[in-house]
Amino acid sequence: MSTSHTPVEANKVRNRVLIAIGAVVIIATYLYLVLGQPSEFAEGDFGQASLIAIIGYLLGSVLIAVGTIHRLPTTTIALVPVAIAVNIVVGQLSASIGLPIYLDSIGTILVGVLAGPAAGALTGALTNVIWGMTISPIALPFAVTAVVIGVMAGYAGRLGMFRRFYLAPIAGLITGIVAALVSSPIAAFIFGGATGGGNGAIVAAFRAVGNSLLASTTFQGLLSDPLDKVITFTIVVIILFALPSRFRSRFPFVREYNVFGKQSELAAPTRATRTGEAGDAAAASTSGDDSASTDGTPTPKG
Amino acid sequence: MTTTLYEDRESAIHRLNPVTKLVAMLSIIIIVFAVQIWWVALGIVVFIVVPAAVVSGTGGRLLSLSLKLLLPILIVLVLLQGLFFPEGTTVLAEFGPARVTVEGLMFALGIGSRIAALVLCSLVLLLTTNPALLMTSLTEKGMSPKMSYVISSTLQIIPAFQTRAQSILLAQQARGLRLKGNPLRRAGAILPLVSPLVLGMFTDVEERSTAMEARGFSSPATHTSFVVVPDPVGQKIARWLLIAVAVASVVLSLLGVFK
Repeated sequence: MSTSHTPVEANKVRNRVLIAIGAVVIIATYLYLVLGQPSEFAEGDFGQASLIAIIGYLLGSVLIAVGTIHRLPTTTIALVPVAIAVNIVVGQLSASIGLPIYLDSIGTILVGVLAGPAAGALTGALTNVIWGMTISPIALPFAVTAVVIGVMAGYAGRLGMFRRFYLAPIAGLITGIVAALVSSPIAAFIFGGATGGGNGAIVAAFRAVGNSLLASTTFQGLLSDPLDKVITFTIVVIILFALPSRFRSRFPFVREYNVFGKQSELAAPTRATRTGEAGDAAAASTSGDDSASTDGTPTPKG
Repeated sequence: MTTTLYEDRESAIHRLNPVTKLVAMLSIIIIVFAVQIWWVALGIVVFIVVPAAVVSGTGGRLLSLSLKLLLPILIVLVLLQGLFFPEGTTVLAEFGPARVTVEGLMFALGIGSRIAALVLCSLVLLLTTNPALLMTSLTEKGMSPKMSYVISSTLQIIPAFQTRAQSILLAQQARGLRLKGNPLRRAGAILPLVSPLVLGMFTDVEERSTAMEARGFSSPATHTSFVVVPDPVGQKIARWLLIAVAVASVVLSLLGVFK
């Protein structure tokens, strides 16, 4: 991480700027790779595209991770490591009992829904860092996909996709499609389509009928990611519905955006009454809210 | 199962400041992707990465890990690009829809050498760097202590979670959960395995956040470190040189010098 920053107390503007730049870098990278690809690809070499893919996506993910971590209260920070551990352990479990899906983002989606898009993005990014450190460095370039999944899960929660049981799989489907689109340039330009045995065979089949490499990895992603995310979102919504509502409404994000609808109104119903939060936050647990600039210690207002 | 790949040994590579190794790894990866010439990537692997592993005494581990992680990808890559490269014109052999082309093989060589450099470089860093020390020195360099907390504690939790997942698996099997059969049936097994794990996770979180708050985790004051990682001037200069070379290679690449 050559991008160093000063460890002074959270600076709201700076963090927002970091996140905004990170998002712009990721979007620009994706657009460049998808729109600027044909000319270079005609010669059968796209080193330039691989360079832009690896730098743009990694830089964007690092900026978002650095920008988000300062915004999160201690309860959320404590949630992130266990969520990452759930991602990795369930991912390994799924592989070991021979399931054809990844199931490696349960923790990321859970955090996104309970603590917001910023927390989801951080969990996603760090999951791939830890996966790279413990299992295989090949996970590292895909960190941006995990960031996108965490953000989308957060916004799905905010938009009320977890209020009804049947809406969550739809959110999963959309997230899966976006995840496939974002990760396909990585699979194509960095790994040449060879991300694993089964995936490679599917890419080969699309290549054999004359598709470009990027199109082939996109189709391959669209075959596996949406299904995986539909199942993962369904599992997450089942688990969340099984939790006592007292438990879920402990998260300020859940209360603020009414993520689970009426059930969570017991704790703090609307945004209007949020100013009195310091009092019930102390009862629930020590926390700020998702967008709070001060770390952890909420100051009573009024 | 051990959490990280780190091997505790005594060597010149192990003694380097972790940040120096991290910067070296990232710079090499960027240079390899910027220069886009396959023999540059292979040269860096053969003359820098592999000797570094041998000097640090982790050559054997590097070999076995790269056979496990890298070889499958490289085989798929050569088969995929070697046989299915519709853009290729110089055909060497043809088997039905599959055509072996020179362009496809060269493409596989280019991508493959870069993946090899990426994976091997990261592996050498991981094999020779204590993750706790890496986090400490990154925090010294200005990374948020929250970031190092998340990464370090995740590395510590994972083995405990793996043990917990295994015992949940055994407990559910003892109650009659079946993991054999078609994929649909096995998918049905996921929920009874995952939900106890996730529910247990919330109890963990509550205990942790209370303990962290009690110890001033979110205090805005500057955090001091128990361990001070030595960082000689030579390595600082080396880091800036590496960064300069990486940036220069990116600029030259974008200007089209390596085409």
